[in-house]
Amino acid sequence: MIRPPGWCWCLPLAHAPVTGLGAWADGAARLLLEPTDLLLAIALVLLALQHGPRTLERLWWRVPAGWLAGALVGVALPRELLVAPLLSAALTALALLVSFRIPLPPRALLALLPLGAAGFAVVSGSAMAGHSGGLAVVLAEALTLGLVTGLLASALALLRVGWGPIAIQVAGSWIAATALLLLGWQLRHPS
Amino acid sequence: MPRHLLPLSLVLATAGLLVLGAPAPVLAHAEAGHAGGFLSGLLHPVSGLDHVVAMVAVGLWGVVLGPPALWLLPVAFPLVMALGGLLGMLGVPIPGVEIGIAVSGLAMGLMVLFEIRAPLALAALVVAAFAVFHGHAHGAELPSGGDALLYSLGFVIATGLLHLTGILIGEARRWRGGRALARGAGAVIALVGLLFLQKALA
Repeated sequence: MIRPPGWCWCLPLAHAPVTGLGAWADGAARLLLEPTDLLLAIALVLLALQHGPRTLERLWWRVPAGWLAGALVGVALPRELLVAPLLSAALTALALLVSFRIPLPPRALLALLPLGAAGFAVVSGSAMAGHSGGLAVVLAEALTLGLVTGLLASALALLRVGWGPIAIQVAGSWIAATALLLLGWQLRHPS
Repeated sequence: MPRHLLPLSLVLATAGLLVLGAPAPVLAHAEAGHAGGFLSGLLHPVSGLDHVVAMVAVGLWGVVLGPPALWLLPVAFPLVMALGGLLGMLGVPIPGVEIGIAVSGLAMGLMVLFEIRAPLALAALVVAAFAVFHGHAHGAELPSGGDALLYSLGFVIATGLLHLTGILIGEARRWRGGRALARGAGAVIALVGLLFLQKALA
């Protein structure tokens, strides 16, 4: 069976869990087992929801779309971008917007959803740069991210209970705290 | 003061002392060499009684204070705790961490026991100050290796669930005898804090 180089399913990839089920499964597993990008997507979805369920319904797709675009750029880069602490700091800042329920102008939100996702994805995709199965991994990751984001947005858009906004702020604070601890860990262990 | 308060408080306080008197107690910050990972992070906060009681007290005191403190304190605590963790990981020294942790249990337990309704800003400040000590202790002892993100996530979720436990205990105040239960829990927390304070000062 002949496959294009980007679709090799057999090589172990750096920074991707090897499930033994092929690059597509590795990509899905990467998103779930190294969930920085997943936390980012959740934070962006929560941020959109805080601007109203209609906003979320209209804009949620920008997150996986932006992530896919960024990941495709990242995987095409010549080498991995080593800026993990920067991403953790950015995730902290983003999650703080959610936890403090800071309203954003519509245009800022419109831009932040895809650009935030794309920024993270460039770095995430660059970890796959130069690997023959890297493209399949990031495509699988983008597909999984789209699925998870879509399901999350659908469920949250229906959330009409009184404690919903509080739960969203709590979730934001948990993500911010996680990212802050991760930042500390990355600064302590720079390698 | 409700008539049934003292006996129930007494029972709960006694139960607390019995727990403390059990052989080979597992203390927070004592374990070493834990691999990273979600489960390790999830289990870390519940492995030490000093941390557990303080986390539960945050939720309980939030209920005593009522909204918006009910949700503001559990939102603020993990954030400031993580900041303390960051300082701990970076090796920034904070004096008297173990004393601060013990005092947090004692002070917040007393707040719950005596149903002290501090102004929101003051309550947030008190909780935030204590959160720095808890975070610093855990940050300084964060195990190397393993998955830092999953570990941190598990750690934060466990902390949040302990707050939630406190809130649920506090919500029992709506029921008959529930107020005494909540205050009794405050008494137990204060006693645990006192015991750890004694150990920290020894």
